[in-house]
Amino acid sequence: MADALLRHVVTFGRVLREVGIEVGPGRLQDALRGLDAVDLTSQPDVYFTLRQTLVARRDELDLFDRAFAAWFLRAPVEPAGRGAVPQQPQTRKVASPLSEATLGDEDGDRDPLELGASGHELLREQDFATMTPEEFARARRLIADIARLRPLRRSRRRRPDPRGDRLDLRRLMRRSLATGGDPVERAFRSRKDVPRKLVVLCDVSGSMESYTRALLLFLHSAVGTGRGVEAFAFGTRLSRLTQELATRNPEDAFAKASASVVDWGAGTRIGACLKAFNDEYGRRALSRGAVTVIVSDGWEREDPELVGREMARLARAAYAVVWVNPLKGNPEYQPLAGGMRAALPFVDRFLPGHNLRSLEELAAVLAGIERRHAA
Amino acid sequence: MTFRTIDELEGALREASYLPERGLSTALFLSLALEKPVLLEGEAGVGKTEAAKALARARGARLIRLQCYEGLDVAHAVYEWNYPRQLLHIRAAQEGTVSEEELFGREFLIRRPLLEAIESEEPVVLLIDEIDRADEEFEAFLLEVLSDFQITIPEIGTIRAVRKPSVVLTSNRTRELHDALKRRCLFHWIGHPSIEREIAIVKLRVPGVPERLAEQAARFVRGLRALDLAKPPGVAETIDWAQALAALGQAELDAEVVESTLGSVLKYREDFEAVRDDQLVRLVEEARSGR
Repeated sequence: MADALLRHVVTFGRVLREVGIEVGPGRLQDALRGLDAVDLTSQPDVYFTLRQTLVARRDELDLFDRAFAAWFLRAPVEPAGRGAVPQQPQTRKVASPLSEATLGDEDGDRDPLELGASGHELLREQDFATMTPEEFARARRLIADIARLRPLRRSRRRRPDPRGDRLDLRRLMRRSLATGGDPVERAFRSRKDVPRKLVVLCDVSGSMESYTRALLLFLHSAVGTGRGVEAFAFGTRLSRLTQELATRNPEDAFAKASASVVDWGAGTRIGACLKAFNDEYGRRALSRGAVTVIVSDGWEREDPELVGREMARLARAAYAVVWVNPLKGNPEYQPLAGGMRAALPFVDRFLPGHNLRSLEELAAVLAGIERRHAA
Repeated sequence: MTFRTIDELEGALREASYLPERGLSTALFLSLALEKPVLLEGEAGVGKTEAAKALARARGARLIRLQCYEGLDVAHAVYEWNYPRQLLHIRAAQEGTVSEEELFGREFLIRRPLLEAIESEEPVVLLIDEIDRADEEFEAFLLEVLSDFQITIPEIGTIRAVRKPSVVLTSNRTRELHDALKRRCLFHWIGHPSIEREIAIVKLRVPGVPERLAEQAARFVRGLRALDLAKPPGVAETIDWAQALAALGQAELDAEVVESTLGSVLKYREDFEAVRDDQLVRLVEEARSGR
């Protein structure tokens, strides 16, 4: 009996791993110990015991429920939800340069300066949409450098600092032992600066394609700078990208994201996606005090009014809102698209981001952003 | 007090004025049986903190609460030295021959919640509230405490728990917690209760509330949750509201009184605007007719 149970649970662990829930041996052991303590004839108790010991994230509850139903209740396995099969639509023609860029000869042109000052300058000015795969490969490394700058905020945590503004009593006490209790030599602490939260929402719909490649690389490097960076992709739907960007290479993350959030030909639903963000993540204060960056051309296919409403909600929680619109790189551009026009009143900085130079500008703005409506 | 079955624990929680869903009682039971911390996540107001308090009452254990915030550090969570006393002590020794061991001894220690919970000889429920508000440095530190149930003070040495406290962590998911910390914990997501349970909770927590008022208030709030609100109300709001309505002497809902008391339920201006006029009348109708 005990053996049968053990086999059952171990196999179930494997089923969970197959649907994408990481289950370590420690967790399985907890599950077994838990089952030992509850009434095995009660289905809810068995269900909760397994769920509470094997699952650690809310977003995995759905997957768990499906696996549980399939394995223990012998229910037919429901087809996996959207996004699980990141199939590349055959009409896509642009993704290849990027993959070549990663696989291509990394050693050949490591130093961008080898291009010579003028070549480098040209590359900086060149619109991402017109870059050849080779040029993009070079741009790639520059992008990573640019992304390293992060906005800072003052932490509430203090650390020793001889020029600090608060007495460090613990060290002061120790030092004053030598002088019979007189605090001759004083010690101070001060607050340090830590990276401010950064939330990036990136439009990956068809009209943005040539730019999102570059911006996703930018994001990938930004997520690599440490915690406190959250990335989302949106098109017809919204999807959280942080985990993917931290673990896989940016091309895969991009392919997967656009496959799961873009319905081909359905257009971009900026307002609806912002709303999904505010409802699901804004409510949990993920964006509170964050510098929030939206990357989109502002082509709303549904309801510009909704864009304005949700931007207002977003702006209220955020420390500052930056909108990056590659179309702005064209000097002729005017923000006439309905969605863009509705969003602008709530935007603190409006930047292009269509070439390397404007990405540098973006990074500088992010690093130096001081307070709302400073621009 | 120990519990042999989930039902036993559930009964004790009910005695302690808390009506848990089966999932929550299972989580708390397993936490005691496996001696593992339990992490409770859920929207604000679903009763996460209340669950820990009820567990303490049910076990007859002392509740020690650590409220987390950004910048929470060892001096506020674990221990701090009593500097004024140390200074006085040095001064009192006149000759200035105070040894370091003497000055950093246990009598100069101020115990904060974590140390208190570890040192306690009676049973303790340690509530680490809103862990998502603390920063990652603290999370890492907590991880250490929760794996070994011991705390090291450089001047004194390592203090081990005499008996492991039962630990409840709560999080509103303002950020994702570190995987390593989650791995140490059992995990339970608390959703909004079923309508029957919510009515029962209101009746239990608002003594003397008219039966019909309790039912209608719970149904009205449930109707609100189905709308698309910025901040859907939790059970805590239902209880507050029912209390207010009962204090006003209402026996049941009407549109007028709902409008004037809606502030205990909705906390955002947009939400107020979404629930005005026709919408409000419709929700009151539905709550009264029991649909």
